[in-house]
Amino acid sequence: MATTTAYQVPANLSPTAIANTSSLLRIVALALISAAAIASRLFAVINFESIIHEFDPWFNYRATKVLASEGFYAFWNWFDPTAWYPLGRVVGGTIYPGLMATSGVIFYALKAINLPVDIRNICVLLAPGFSALTAWATYMFTKEMKDESAGLLAAAFIGIVPGYISRSVAGSYDNEAIAIFLLMFTFYAWIKALKTGSAFFGTVAALFYFYMVAAWGGYAFITNMIPLHALALILMGRYSGRLYVGYSSWYAVGTLASMQVPFVGFQPVRTSEHMAALGVFGLLQIIAFAELVRSHVSSKQFRALLFASVIGLGLLGTAGIVGMTYKGWIAPWTGRFYSLWDTGYAKKYIPIIASVSEHQPTAWPSFFMDLQFLIFLFPAGVIMCFRQLRDEHVFVIIYAIVASYFAGVMVRLMLTLTPVVCVAAAIAFSTLLDTYLNPEQPEEETPSAAVPSTAAPSETSSAKKGKKAAPAPATLAELVSNATGPESTKRKTGIFGLDTRLLVILNALGMLVFFVWHCTWVTSSAYSSPSVVLASANPDGSQHIIDDFREAYYWLRQNTPEDAVVMSWWDYGYQIAGMADRPTLVDNNTWNNTHIATVGKAMSSTEEVAYPILRKHDVDYVLIIFGGLIGYSGDDINKFLWMVRIAQGVWPDEIQEPNYFTRTGEYKIDDQASQTMKDSLMYKMSYYRFAELFGGQQAVDRVRGQQVPKTGPTLDYLDEAFTSENWIVRIFQVKKEDLLGRDLKSANSFDQGKKKKRSKPSSRRRAIL
Amino acid sequence: MLLWYILTLFILPFSLAAPKDSNAIHDELVKLAKANNGVIKLDERTYDLLTSPKRTWSAAVQLTAMDAKRRCAPCKEFDPSFKEVGRSWSTVPAEERNSHFFATLDFDNGMTVFQKSAPIVHVYPAAEGPRKPANGRTAPSTYDFSFGFEAGPLAEQLSHHTPIPIPYQAPFNWSRWGVLKNKWTWAVGTVLTSLVMTSGYMFTRIRGAPWSGGNGQWIAPGYQNQFGQETQVVAMIYGLLASAFLMLTVVTPYTTSPSRQKAQVYLWSVVIFIMYSVLLSLFRVKNKGYPFKLLL
Repeated sequence: MATTTAYQVPANLSPTAIANTSSLLRIVALALISAAAIASRLFAVINFESIIHEFDPWFNYRATKVLASEGFYAFWNWFDPTAWYPLGRVVGGTIYPGLMATSGVIFYALKAINLPVDIRNICVLLAPGFSALTAWATYMFTKEMKDESAGLLAAAFIGIVPGYISRSVAGSYDNEAIAIFLLMFTFYAWIKALKTGSAFFGTVAALFYFYMVAAWGGYAFITNMIPLHALALILMGRYSGRLYVGYSSWYAVGTLASMQVPFVGFQPVRTSEHMAALGVFGLLQIIAFAELVRSHVSSKQFRALLFASVIGLGLLGTAGIVGMTYKGWIAPWTGRFYSLWDTGYAKKYIPIIASVSEHQPTAWPSFFMDLQFLIFLFPAGVIMCFRQLRDEHVFVIIYAIVASYFAGVMVRLMLTLTPVVCVAAAIAFSTLLDTYLNPEQPEEETPSAAVPSTAAPSETSSAKKGKKAAPAPATLAELVSNATGPESTKRKTGIFGLDTRLLVILNALGMLVFFVWHCTWVTSSAYSSPSVVLASANPDGSQHIIDDFREAYYWLRQNTPEDAVVMSWWDYGYQIAGMADRPTLVDNNTWNNTHIATVGKAMSSTEEVAYPILRKHDVDYVLIIFGGLIGYSGDDINKFLWMVRIAQGVWPDEIQEPNYFTRTGEYKIDDQASQTMKDSLMYKMSYYRFAELFGGQQAVDRVRGQQVPKTGPTLDYLDEAFTSENWIVRIFQVKKEDLLGRDLKSANSFDQGKKKKRSKPSSRRRAIL
Repeated sequence: MLLWYILTLFILPFSLAAPKDSNAIHDELVKLAKANNGVIKLDERTYDLLTSPKRTWSAAVQLTAMDAKRRCAPCKEFDPSFKEVGRSWSTVPAEERNSHFFATLDFDNGMTVFQKSAPIVHVYPAAEGPRKPANGRTAPSTYDFSFGFEAGPLAEQLSHHTPIPIPYQAPFNWSRWGVLKNKWTWAVGTVLTSLVMTSGYMFTRIRGAPWSGGNGQWIAPGYQNQFGQETQVVAMIYGLLASAFLMLTVVTPYTTSPSRQKAQVYLWSVVIFIMYSVLLSLFRVKNKGYPFKLLL
């Protein structure tokens, strides 16, 4: 008997049977993982309904509808006059069309086989569908790092991990829904190209890179990750022909392809985000040339010269890129990317970026919520990568550092961290399982026949002596045997006994089960809310749906003329366009800061100042979100300071943030609120007639937990047009100019029967002709 | 004019050969030292000049054998140190510099001078003039190699004989780069970075969160909030859990004794279980609605 086993394993299986069974099991496991990935994303549909979620998806959905109904060319040339009124928006040239194109292709393909599916259902279910593909891509990627079993674990992890589910539940029809699949598959193809030196896989990586560029602005992550990996390999002295072929084919094809996306255009050669890729491409060419010359020339001096010239050329190229950046031929880092490095930058210069909640830094509970036990397996997995440190492991290591930094800076980028955490954790976990599931026990005493080696006796005897014997001087036999092959002489390592195995395996299984519970709970309770429809619990525990948004949007749709312009804060622009189908001033495509600041100014100024702005922009209705009645914290009063800040950025003389605080520097809406705050349009609209609701009792704002003044604000230039059931959405109509030419304030007081004070002669009255 | 130059060239060797007064010798030595990076390359004649009994200068002379056929490994090891110290001496002001010389004599250039072993460093104090030692002993002393072959101790010892201490500074230790070449240095850096980042360090930096709250409270209330101390605690818990897993997978299988291995497996399993429970209880403090817990 060669080795002892801890438990019985069938011995008489043919290798083909084992191979066939394991591949069948792998297929079944992958199918089940895909099913679990899709199923866990359907909570949103089951708990609510098949509806598009949140904000951006509403625009994507609207664009997809255009694509599906009018065809690709109409979509490509689509100019949307109702967005950014009165500017309009060239949609075809300002979006990443990959998502819509994907849905469109699926729609037409189903139609071609006579399966007419509503485009909305395709949009709703696209993200879950692609999550199954992501699981598969992660399996392929991890397989390259370790083996199939680690791949399956990684696929299972990413299938249900909340960090990815948060962006890909059914109805979350956003770019990230397909982007993570593309990210992982591009990385897989890149690793494959690097390992095999195959131009084919390099091109595959390039094509998926192109798809990624067409689908998500986050493609810059790939654009910088792959060059970083290549550069690290070069610095580690691991330049090889495989690297050259893989990188060059990826870069050349990928860059040319990415330039076909209109929104990207010439950016790959003109912006700093893409310069790393270009620089490494150039460096690789120089190194390849030097290697070529070196293999043909033997003179030592010439080699030194070559070395110097390579370095010189490299420096020259870097200097060239830097110089061109100074000259302005290459655009410097855009604010969005720059704010990742200089974290105070956005708040200072681009408040509109800093104002988005998903651009906030991440506190540790978010990491644990999104990744649970993977978060502490992650460092262990990285160490595992360091143990082997093949070329592809360097990639995981770089990815781990970069992504964990980014995820720390921005909650949103947790999404890019999640795949590498799953991969690293799977590597660590599967190594653990490998070690403790392996039935072979290490031999304890005499060397067995299975280790036919001259050095074995000395090894085992030194092992018996324990640690003290380990650093004994190497004998000649040992030196020889070490040189011939460490594998054959090493004492077999492993685990003794069955109880140790059971303990570790049960512990590990318990963790996996717990992980599934955690993911299910998080997904169902936190990440499946459409945010268009809110849920609360009745006293008897049953679900109560709060449907104020749709109520209000449908009111707009059915009670206002089709060309009525609606002003709201930019968060709701896409929803108004998608659900109410009315022109909006600003929306979530925050390309025009001045326009947004104009809206911010109107919201934060007095009625008298705001009214001309509203009239000049043809605003018919103003829509605000107010959560004070039922405690909906994401309302406009909470976002109000950002409106003030953004407006202040453009009109620092007229709007000043400190004016909106109380004297003690608090942000209050009760009696102590500053006069500027009380006079602002946003405050007036939010609390207009709010106190009346409490029938003489003290009115309380349930979001801020403050008491609202008993005499609420009055409005002279706007009329309340609609307030939804729970007061979440309030819509105000902008009054037209007074027919008699009075200013609206005095007209209002005249209507209310208030006499004008006679102290002044009524000089303002004009003669009526 | 040309004739004059040629004439001078002819005269030069004669003038060198001729016995000179000590000033002329000194000037020549200064020139030689300058030309050779602070270390005069001696032959038998210049050796005699340098160590002349009328010298007003001191000198440190290295006797060595650099030729490969002499097979003097220590010579080769020591030579760079001596050169380095000599070079650093050439940076001191001319007044002091010219009153002490560094010189090296190769065995093949001056066999008669050699005694028995190489390398060897003789220090000749000044025999005349103001720098003559007070005790009047002008016989050369020998550098004690038990101080080491390195430039540092050599410079320190020789400084006892020079007018001012030798301004020797250890060059940047390039072998420290070896640390950067070691993958485990990078591994530790990577893991520490990711641990710190995933415990919300950037949050505390960007938000300027305090290290801890007042009155001993170190857990910030609220799910989207944290104190600096939480970063440390959470990073340590993550690190401990990760290393427990690594212990189980990497270290334990190499243990040769079954009983010790069993003890390790149990120990680390218990550590994982307890730390995981602690982590969960921390998380439940932050997220009140979290329904799961283990031990605590």
